[in-house]
Amino acid sequence: MKTGLDRCQLSRRDFLKYSVGGLAAIVVGSKLGWLMQTPAYAAVQTHTIELEIGDAIKQMVTHNSIHNAECYFWVYKCAQPVINPNAEVPGPTIFATQGDTVNITVTNLLDEPHAFFIPGVVASGPIPPVQNAPNNVWTKSFKVPATVSGALLYYDNLNEPVNRMMGLHGAFIIMPDFTAPPPGGAGNKWTPYHNPTANVQALFNAFGNPDIWPGLAWGEGGDNPAPHPPTPAFRTYIWLDHQASPNLFAEVGNFTPGEDYPAAQFVDIFLNSPFDATNSSNFKGAQYFTVNGQSGHFSHNNPHITPMLKVGEPCVVHILNAGLWMHSMHLHANHFYVTSINGMVQTNPLWLDVFNIHPLDRVDYVIPYMRPPDVPNARGIGRPDTVLQSPGNALIPGSVPHPVWPPSEELDFSIPSKIGVTIPGVGGLTALDAAGNAIDLGVQLSPLCYPMHDHSEPSQTAQGGNYNLGLIAGMNITGDRNLPGGVTEFPNDPDHVPPNTARASAEPHSM
Amino acid sequence: MSVNNPVFGTIPRQSVVGMENEWVKMFDPPKADPPTPDMVTPTNPVPEVMAATGMQAVPSPAHTLERQLMHGMKMPTWDGAKELVFFVFRDPTNPTASGGVYPAPTTRVPRGAIFHGHTQGSGPPPHTIHWHGIEPTPINDGVGHCSMEIGDYTYQWQPNFIGTYFYHCHRNTVQHFNFGLYGLLPIMPPDAYFATLDNPAIPIGACRDGKFRTAANLSIIRGPTGGAVPMVAGSGSGFEGALIANPYPGFIGGLLTDPDPLRQFPTNPHAMTVPYDVEAIWVLADRDSVWSDLAEDARTTFPAHGPHPGIDDDFARKPGRDGFFAFNQFNPDYWFVTGVPVKAHRGGTGTVDPAGAPPAGGGLPDGLIPPALNSGISGTQVAISAKVGQTILVRCLNGAYDVIDVTFPLDVTVIAWDGRALGVPPFGFNHPYMVPAGTPIHLSVARRFDALIRSDSEVNGVATVKFLSARHGGQAGTAPVAVTAEIPINIVWAAPTVSSISGSVFGSRAGEPLPGVTMVLTSDTGRQTVVTDASGNYSFAGLANGRYTIIPNLAGFQFFPREREATIVGADQTGQFFRGRAT
Repeated sequence: MKTGLDRCQLSRRDFLKYSVGGLAAIVVGSKLGWLMQTPAYAAVQTHTIELEIGDAIKQMVTHNSIHNAECYFWVYKCAQPVINPNAEVPGPTIFATQGDTVNITVTNLLDEPHAFFIPGVVASGPIPPVQNAPNNVWTKSFKVPATVSGALLYYDNLNEPVNRMMGLHGAFIIMPDFTAPPPGGAGNKWTPYHNPTANVQALFNAFGNPDIWPGLAWGEGGDNPAPHPPTPAFRTYIWLDHQASPNLFAEVGNFTPGEDYPAAQFVDIFLNSPFDATNSSNFKGAQYFTVNGQSGHFSHNNPHITPMLKVGEPCVVHILNAGLWMHSMHLHANHFYVTSINGMVQTNPLWLDVFNIHPLDRVDYVIPYMRPPDVPNARGIGRPDTVLQSPGNALIPGSVPHPVWPPSEELDFSIPSKIGVTIPGVGGLTALDAAGNAIDLGVQLSPLCYPMHDHSEPSQTAQGGNYNLGLIAGMNITGDRNLPGGVTEFPNDPDHVPPNTARASAEPHSM
Repeated sequence: MSVNNPVFGTIPRQSVVGMENEWVKMFDPPKADPPTPDMVTPTNPVPEVMAATGMQAVPSPAHTLERQLMHGMKMPTWDGAKELVFFVFRDPTNPTASGGVYPAPTTRVPRGAIFHGHTQGSGPPPHTIHWHGIEPTPINDGVGHCSMEIGDYTYQWQPNFIGTYFYHCHRNTVQHFNFGLYGLLPIMPPDAYFATLDNPAIPIGACRDGKFRTAANLSIIRGPTGGAVPMVAGSGSGFEGALIANPYPGFIGGLLTDPDPLRQFPTNPHAMTVPYDVEAIWVLADRDSVWSDLAEDARTTFPAHGPHPGIDDDFARKPGRDGFFAFNQFNPDYWFVTGVPVKAHRGGTGTVDPAGAPPAGGGLPDGLIPPALNSGISGTQVAISAKVGQTILVRCLNGAYDVIDVTFPLDVTVIAWDGRALGVPPFGFNHPYMVPAGTPIHLSVARRFDALIRSDSEVNGVATVKFLSARHGGQAGTAPVAVTAEIPINIVWAAPTVSSISGSVFGSRAGEPLPGVTMVLTSDTGRQTVVTDASGNYSFAGLANGRYTIIPNLAGFQFFPREREATIVGADQTGQFFRGRAT
């Protein structure tokens, strides 16, 4: 029988391989080399993208062999470059640099017209259905505008919002040319924008300031202790929200071929399906709530969705809402700055722990990745002060006086406890795998795990119940760049942060 | 292509093999009772201050707050049509809260103090306490799947930012939060409560200067930009207009790092704070009575792992163990402001009556939140009743699953969001802003804003709170308005005929009184005169609030100043001195 550790490490790689699907990324051009080296993305570099519009059945979050939990979708599958053997919903994330050229081909394999649309950038208009082959193809070469930076939603804008809601959407991220100096003159550091406001520029300039947020600037990578790979620069994540209704989506899929499902009827059913307390199998409203196509465990513990970074490694999260519900997305561990809303870089960026994401909203959260500020420290004013000293806790075996950060005792805890580990008041838990072998269900509290979830909690469900299998991501803290002893990786559970997932060293520092 | 034969076949679900531990913990975290790791000695003075007044028992251990969950209770709706099931916190050390209250007792902690909160879960599990907006280590963050459900545990943190937070159960949150397991959590200035321990004459919750304070930087208030720059719902965008002179007296600037002149605290506890005279708490909440009717068990549709995780977990897409499976279908039909019912049905408009008798009223004595449920502080309001010229602090939390637009009948200044005061260096990459009367402030669930109000004239109006359906996108104009709540705001002149204006008139030699000077007092409402006595003193008594001008007159004399302006706002104006010189 394999040991728990063997099994975890092996299957962890499997987990990464599968879970990257929805986050597979296309990098347009050659100016985003850092992205190629960012373990959060399985990125492929190209100028030429071939998408296919088709349909698929997706197995959703609820995980039980006797429940199929499937949902029918229309999807943009990435045919070229090959980044994922499977189709996925949402479509591939596309990163591009201002001024770059994108050569895109979209083939419609469904039996009614569909489209590819990026507001203000490109619009295919109706692409004829598969019956019209070989005329069911749209090809376009377009320049990424130099007047836009940030995240956009690409989607099918026909029969709005039906085609978008059915799954035909994805993220298109436009970045300034990071190989050039940051705008605004010497002393400025990179932001995600070509046109930062004074306040947003000042915010990004403060990352790396030892009195405010010691560590890296956003556009700066850094080395880590062996065997950990370097931390990449320009740390960027996407949280693309969506809501899915298996019954309604199937109804659309089964609608008269060649005819549009009436959009008003779709919206009315999706939003106003009559209340049914007990029979969710007939309910036609939203049953699944996803971030990047995943829910619950599959998004929260996914390193391609949930940042797993160290204190002192600020990151940017582009949030897009492809759905019809509003989500109130609350992050634990750090307040974030809302630096851009719907393409407008903020003049007065608020520092928040939760913000409203309306349908089609595009909102950027900038996470300082500061030490959680309410860990007891000298002055208690939110600065990177020396932390307080714990005199030790007689109830914890071996507890001796030590600083409260890193939280060395907490990092050592496993809840439930791992087999063979004794923590007062904490029991262990075992289960069986399919072959009948025992599984240790112990979970170490390292890395430090924090959620991001929709606080409008009806979305924290799947199939009407099953709490915590809904719209959730998070941020994990895997170490601290600012400890007196230097850059430190916490003793992280190997299940969580395998040290060898990065593929190459980070970009030379660029600020 | 079709549902039965899709072009791209099946998109497989990810395997949980090798991640069964994380998978199980996500929906079925273990109950545990560990000792607090990395523990330091608590210093929170609030339980001791409460105990000194008899509002709670002497805390044991010292400086440790007690919060137990949960207790179930039923309360009739305002219209008498139903009984709603509530899940509530209780504090066994506090007789007022020992039976459980909704909302939970307002818990206040001074910035910089070490907070310990002892909690036990009982009744239907699972439970935790998440201190929303406070950012400690995960085990103290109270999220079940990131640490554990309780059990018996003492949470530990040190609040670093003054402002408005809240606490709630973070297991099965969709039900437990909505059913009432939450309370407000204001972080107070560092010297609050300590000041009362040092000097019992200081009102509970006030700072050592006797004033209630909160964090703000009022040196940079801006108004709406106007013109082409739109306001974006819920953001600070669109408020880049001209600087507005700070209308709130007593603001102290400086830097958070400035030394404490009294050397009691590591830094000046009053840097970047403003005093307020009146505090109001608005916790806006909505309930779906059908959830209450059909899902009164706190474990409703709560999944459990099976012997073979990922294979035979106790999930369902059929009715759950309690026959209810509709937590994705939220249709609120009852609404509350800080526990006070909104007297309206869906689509209607209703006011709140905090002082009224339940169930239609809030049952709050004098309409005020009882000090025993407010960390000892007296006078906190729901409906606002204040005097002209007073500074009013509104702490507003959206605790409703719908989005709200709050519209005030007068200009207000937003000074903080989510426990972060705007414009306070070094994190002040933003600034406070004035929201004009009639302009909505937009906030989705869990967002909090702190706003200041000060009026120099009477106001007899309401703040309107529109609940916009989140499921329908949550935006005014497109999302249905579930209900409109009206919260009364009454600002009146202080009671008349209680104040006076007095002073003295001196001659040109030091200390020489000048008797017989005729003092003329004029205002919008009239004119009166008195004559200085042998000591040169004069006094006008029985004056109403308002602005007055005082002019001295005596033949052959010139006076400095020629006249004085005095404003009465519910208090005597003394020391109105003049000096006369023979011409």
